[in-house]
Amino acid sequence: MAVHQGEKIKIPKHSVNRPPTPDAAEDQGKEPTLQEIINIKLIESGEKERLMELLRERLIDCGWKDEMKALCRAHVKKKGRNNVTVDDLVHLITPKGRASVPDSVKAELLQRIRTFLMSAAL
Amino acid sequence: MSGPNEDKNTQLSSHFFGDLLDSIIVDVASECHRIAKLGLDRNLEEEEEEMRLSVQARARVADPSNSSETNTKYVVDIFGQTHPSVATEIFECMNCGRSIAAGRFAPHLEKCMGKGRKARLKVTRSSTAAQNRYSRGSPVSAYSPYSNSTSTNRLSNGTPSVAGEEYSNGTYEEPWNKT
Repeated sequence: MAVHQGEKIKIPKHSVNRPPTPDAAEDQGKEPTLQEIINIKLIESGEKERLMELLRERLIDCGWKDEMKALCRAHVKKKGRNNVTVDDLVHLITPKGRASVPDSVKAELLQRIRTFLMSAAL
Repeated sequence: MSGPNEDKNTQLSSHFFGDLLDSIIVDVASECHRIAKLGLDRNLEEEEEEMRLSVQARARVADPSNSSETNTKYVVDIFGQTHPSVATEIFECMNCGRSIAAGRFAPHLEKCMGKGRKARLKVTRSSTAAQNRYSRGSPVSAYSPYSNSTSTNRLSNGTPSVAGEEYSNGTYEEPWNKT
């Protein structure tokens, strides 16, 4: 069976609702992207964890977390506690959350990441 | 210092920052969801509950049939507890060593300590020594909160001539007097 990379013979199975399993052949053709390599390096060195903790701490200190919690609470109050899903809350917070990170916090984290990239990627 | 590498770097950094931020956002959402589901956030429903309880209480007070039923002996306090009208806890009188009920303690002390006629005749073994040591200008009045007015008056005279005076001096010996 000649299968071009990216093509699959799909047999529709209506009882199972999941994407088809990727072929082993397909994986071998792909190179891990730079992003993926760096991600692995970040995780393996423990730097990702450290960065997360740092960001978490900064966001708590500047009140960002409290703002997000207040948003969530208001939403829960409006919808009733039994009608709220985690997904709802994530979609609620994400745009506001991304926009309201203080510049200083963002700069600090970006600097750390960049430093890591310099030391690791090259 | 410039060039495509820098941009790549910046782009990558932003990407990873976004990654971290997304994870944290999911954590916060998950935490809030948990708090909401477990009802750990008191403020959320506190107001509703308080409104309900206050309406209930108002109804109960306004209800005329209730007041006639209230038995004054079994009054209920805000925690829902009832107390007997005479306090029943028992402890030892530090003066005479007897077991006294708390509700009867004050009258007992009156008799025990000097107001009553019989009490004046009580002489403790240390009173003679006490009399010699603390006969005049004794600071008993400052230290013994249980002295009633009559004994204090006698003290200010400073003359240990009456048996009652001895007794008052004797009380100074008692450890509980040194408050």
